[in-house]
Amino acid sequence: MDYDAIVVGGGHAGIEASLALARIGFSTLLVTQRLDTIGALSCNPAIGGLSKGNMVREIDALGGEMAHLIDRSMIQFRILNRRRGPAVQAPRAQADKFTYNRLAKETLEAQANLALFMDTVVDLTLDREQKRYQGIVTERGHHISSRVLVLTTGTFMEGKIFIGEWETPAGRLGEQAAIGLGTALRAKGFPVGRMKTGTPSRVRRSSIDFSAVEVQEGDRVMAPFSFDYTSVDRPSEDCYITWTNEETHRIIRENIGRSPLYGGKISGIGPRYCPSIEDKVVRFPERDRHQIFIEPEGIGTQEMYLNGVSSSLPEDVQHAFIHSIRGLEDAEIMRPGYAVEYDYIDPLSLYPSLESKLVDGLFIAGQTNGTSGYEEAACQGLIAGINAAQKLKGEKPLVLGRNEAYTGVLIDDLVTVGTKEPYRMFTSRAEYRLNLRHDSADQRLTRKGWEVGLQRDEQLTRLEEKLDRIEAVKDLLAARSWREKNALAALKMPEITIDVLKETVEGLSDFDEPTLYQVELDVKYAGYIDRQQRQVDRFERLEAMEIDPRFDYDTVEGLSSEGREKLKVVRPFSVGQASRIGGVRNSDVAILIVHLRRGGGRV
Amino acid sequence: MSRYDTQDIIYALATPWGRSGLAVIRISGEGCRASLSPFFSSPTALIEAKNATLVHGYLLDEGNARIDEVVLAINTRGHGYTMEEAIEISCHGSIAVIQAILSLLGRIGMRSAEAGEFTFRAFIHGRLDLTQAEAVEELISSVSQSSRSLSLSRLEGRLRERIDELKESLLTLLAAVEVQLDYSEDELDEFVFPRHALATLIESIGSLADTYQIGRLYKSGAKVVLAGSTNVGKSSLFNLLLKEERSIVSPYRGTTRDYIEADLEVGGIPIRLYDTAGLRESEDLVEQEGIVRTERLIGEADLIIYLVDSTDLGHIPAEDGRTLVVYNKSDLVRPAADTLAISAQSGEGVDRLLKAVEDRLKRSLPDIGEGDLVIEGERQWRLLEGAKGALVRALELSDSVDVLDVVAVELAEALTNLGELTGEVRSDDILDRIFSGFCVGK
Ligand SMILES: Cc1cc2nc3c(=O)[nH]c(=O)nc-3n(C[C@H](O)[C@H](O)[C@H](O)COP(=O)(O)OP(=O)(O)OC[C@H]3O[C@@H](n4cnc5c(N)ncnc54)[C@H](O)[C@@H]3O)c2cc1C
Ligand SMILES: Nc1nc2c(ncn2[C@@H]2O[C@H](COP(=O)(O)OP(=O)(O)OP(=O)(O)O)[C@@H](O)[C@H]2O)c(=O)[nH]1
Ligand SMILES: [Mg+2]
Repeated sequence: MDYDAIVVGGGHAGIEASLALARIGFSTLLVTQRLDTIGALSCNPAIGGLSKGNMVREIDALGGEMAHLIDRSMIQFRILNRRRGPAVQAPRAQADKFTYNRLAKETLEAQANLALFMDTVVDLTLDREQKRYQGIVTERGHHISSRVLVLTTGTFMEGKIFIGEWETPAGRLGEQAAIGLGTALRAKGFPVGRMKTGTPSRVRRSSIDFSAVEVQEGDRVMAPFSFDYTSVDRPSEDCYITWTNEETHRIIRENIGRSPLYGGKISGIGPRYCPSIEDKVVRFPERDRHQIFIEPEGIGTQEMYLNGVSSSLPEDVQHAFIHSIRGLEDAEIMRPGYAVEYDYIDPLSLYPSLESKLVDGLFIAGQTNGTSGYEEAACQGLIAGINAAQKLKGEKPLVLGRNEAYTGVLIDDLVTVGTKEPYRMFTSRAEYRLNLRHDSADQRLTRKGWEVGLQRDEQLTRLEEKLDRIEAVKDLLAARSWREKNALAALKMPEITIDVLKETVEGLSDFDEPTLYQVELDVKYAGYIDRQQRQVDRFERLEAMEIDPRFDYDTVEGLSSEGREKLKVVRPFSVGQASRIGGVRNSDVAILIVHLRRGGGRV
Repeated sequence: MSRYDTQDIIYALATPWGRSGLAVIRISGEGCRASLSPFFSSPTALIEAKNATLVHGYLLDEGNARIDEVVLAINTRGHGYTMEEAIEISCHGSIAVIQAILSLLGRIGMRSAEAGEFTFRAFIHGRLDLTQAEAVEELISSVSQSSRSLSLSRLEGRLRERIDELKESLLTLLAAVEVQLDYSEDELDEFVFPRHALATLIESIGSLADTYQIGRLYKSGAKVVLAGSTNVGKSSLFNLLLKEERSIVSPYRGTTRDYIEADLEVGGIPIRLYDTAGLRESEDLVEQEGIVRTERLIGEADLIIYLVDSTDLGHIPAEDGRTLVVYNKSDLVRPAADTLAISAQSGEGVDRLLKAVEDRLKRSLPDIGEGDLVIEGERQWRLLEGAKGALVRALELSDSVDVLDVVAVELAEALTNLGELTGEVRSDDILDRIFSGFCVGK
């Protein structure tokens, strides 16, 4: 055996997976097509955002890397939705792309137990029954073996790029596609399909008329994503806002037939939540303008990202419509927008551990599973890495609940319901989002990260100290009064903030901001949190009824035939998961419960 | 899936609404005795009762006021139909009493059972013989049909459509809020909370929920009691209304000793009519017991027809929403002009009386037109009320934009309630609505 573990692909998923495996102590090899593009931000130069910022902090709490990378490369920081309520606020940062991707590579290089190798994987070798993973075969003919594999191919597996009538096999513009692996996996019986996504053009900073666009500044105080430190010191760059207009839309409409999508060249399914500008114009004809954010790609680079006008129209059309936009009349396009179509593997073929049901020892993560987005990829990579390590150790996989983490919601959705379009996280996907605040990710997950061997003892101690401080603040408030009222009770009133109390309640200002903020939210949301907790309790009871994934559903009498088929496909880990499968009826779940109670769930 | 949760304490009325002198309400679930004991006059007796014993006492409300005199039949864990700790409450059969008790149970954290849920629990706890696979399948399919859409089968045609419409409007509203939470402020147009749409929705759900009383009345009927002093002609009127000689009529006072009941219909409303022992001071033990029963019936009645003998007025009670004072024997003495007068002998004025009874029963009900939709089931009503309650809270909260996240919690709760009526709503449905209705995404 050459290595304990191999990770294919140095994208956001592959970075987390390989670091997790190596940090837990397994000899790991990362094979990727180009070392120079490890951790490349293919699209938007930003990390975080609504629900995604929460995921970054979840990754950090479990012992992943993404938060550290963005904390050391951010060039603008903002807390989004300050006015919408704490449960849905989230941090977002603009990244200096070049710094981000250099730091990613340096972090991997500095990691013990981790080897990096530049090559393209074209096939897997399996055992004679085609049931167990054994090793990889690369383009240059290397055969490398390992006990487990994590596959994270992103947009590269049989990737194809489109700009108008022009197309080329690539995963990102100028980067070769990984040809062969998709075909090999199809031949081995994997459910491989096509998806597509797109990116806008980058224009030259010096060609933008800044007097004609609005400025969007970052927050004055930058805050770290990672729980490992309390402040960050980074430069803050502005972003800018402009709008499309009727003329822009006219140009797009007149040329719509030349789009590869509308012209029928692309068969893959694209994301509805992240439509190209041609999609927006066609689907919302009543709107006379669409917003565009102009974001820097880094410090020292001239490239500016046009957030909002992703397009795969021919380059002459892209030129024409961009030049019709205020402030961009003379914009010099440095890279055109394009669409990319790629192979993904139906995530219904995975267990909640992200291990394949078809091949033992094979884990799959990231865009390969039909998701889109850096954070979505990274959290899966981390979980796949952790679970590959758990498997090597012979321990139970780490499966996060829908009530514990957005990461849990994401993976549960993927492996239980599957996805028809590139899957992106939204706060509305989480039933218990009051519990999934970004500031509480450490409380939810640090201990789990420690249990699987990723978090160190100091982080656990840090968490315990934080919990102690929270209790101390609550005790202090309970003991003090505010205008003849108990201070803790006063805090329940909507207009009384912790800042108000700080002015009069002695000793309160000795505590740090994050602690005070948590107490404030805990107290103000107590009623809702309690109510949600009751729902969570119910939810957890069904989750706690485990089913062995190898369980033979044919031995259970009385299941509906559709339910039985679906259960056999999904092979849920728990009754709770079973109940979320489309086509599984309540009666099927009831029968399962009875069966399990009578000791029938084990194999 | 919550409906298969066997940890909750569930309850259900086991006898038909208002149709019998006695009603039985079943409760099942671990801890049900402890939950009920604070609201029972002899809490210790209830908690310590052995399996298969009876405990007599009063159910009390939160303010310690008596709701009704009841007998509780106790099953401890491992016994009884469901094999769970269980209570059977035998109480008086009036709609008012049943409502009060059910509402108390709901308030103290118990849950109205789904159809078939008691059977389901019996099944889960191995009470039913499951060795025959066929029987299992049959049972399961009956449980499932009723639970997945308990109401689906019942919610036929237009009512279902109506609830679907309400759900649609709510979904649209929720999507409008959710999009604000899924995307950041600066990606979206200025947000104006759809206050008006929400208020309209609250009204629509409210008026549908209010039809429950009508439905209940038409479905379960009303309890109407003939009362008054002896010899005023109660039995005569009873026989006249039933068009048969059911009750003994005589010139002697105190002829009717125990109550007699019979069914009839007035203006489409099913009615259970009671002829009772006349009210007077009496030394006779049997008659005294009869009078006690009359008083109890008066307590439970939806409507009391209080008969007065025009030739011998005696005590005349005050009229109220539940009491109709009627002057009998109008053939002998001409009663005052603005009174409701009849002759149980000639039948004069009886049509007016029937109209008055119908009006009284319908008076407290909301207006509905011919063919309007009406909610019939207690569960449907409860879910609609639950949805309305959540929406009202959302409306109050929405006045401060800061808490859009909790407004969304309330809207989602309302949607879950409606979802339980006509099939659940998944988060995907909300996202679909967002993507089709809003131009979002960079
Ligand atoms: C054009 C474009 C548009 C996008 N638009 C959006 C968007 O609008 N919204 C959004 O949220 N996200 C978008 N993204 C997606 C975002 O970039 C990805 O979701 C994220 O980077 C996925 O991470 P990953 O680790 O799964 O894969 P990637 O970041 O794609 O990394 C995969 C890595 O694996 C390597 N690799 C692949 N196959 C092999 C092989 N066989 N052998 C060796 N190495 C291999 C590749 O070279 C690459 O380095 C877009 C990406 C692209 C390219
Ligand atoms: N003239 C006349 N006599 C009536 C009328 N209604 C009842 N009576 C007579 O009044 C007497 C008492 O009638 P009941 O119907 O037995 O009276 P009751 O109220 O049931 O009496 P108790 O059962 O004793 O309480 C009988 O002799 C009836 O015939 C009426 O409208 N007109
Ligand atoms: Mg009589």
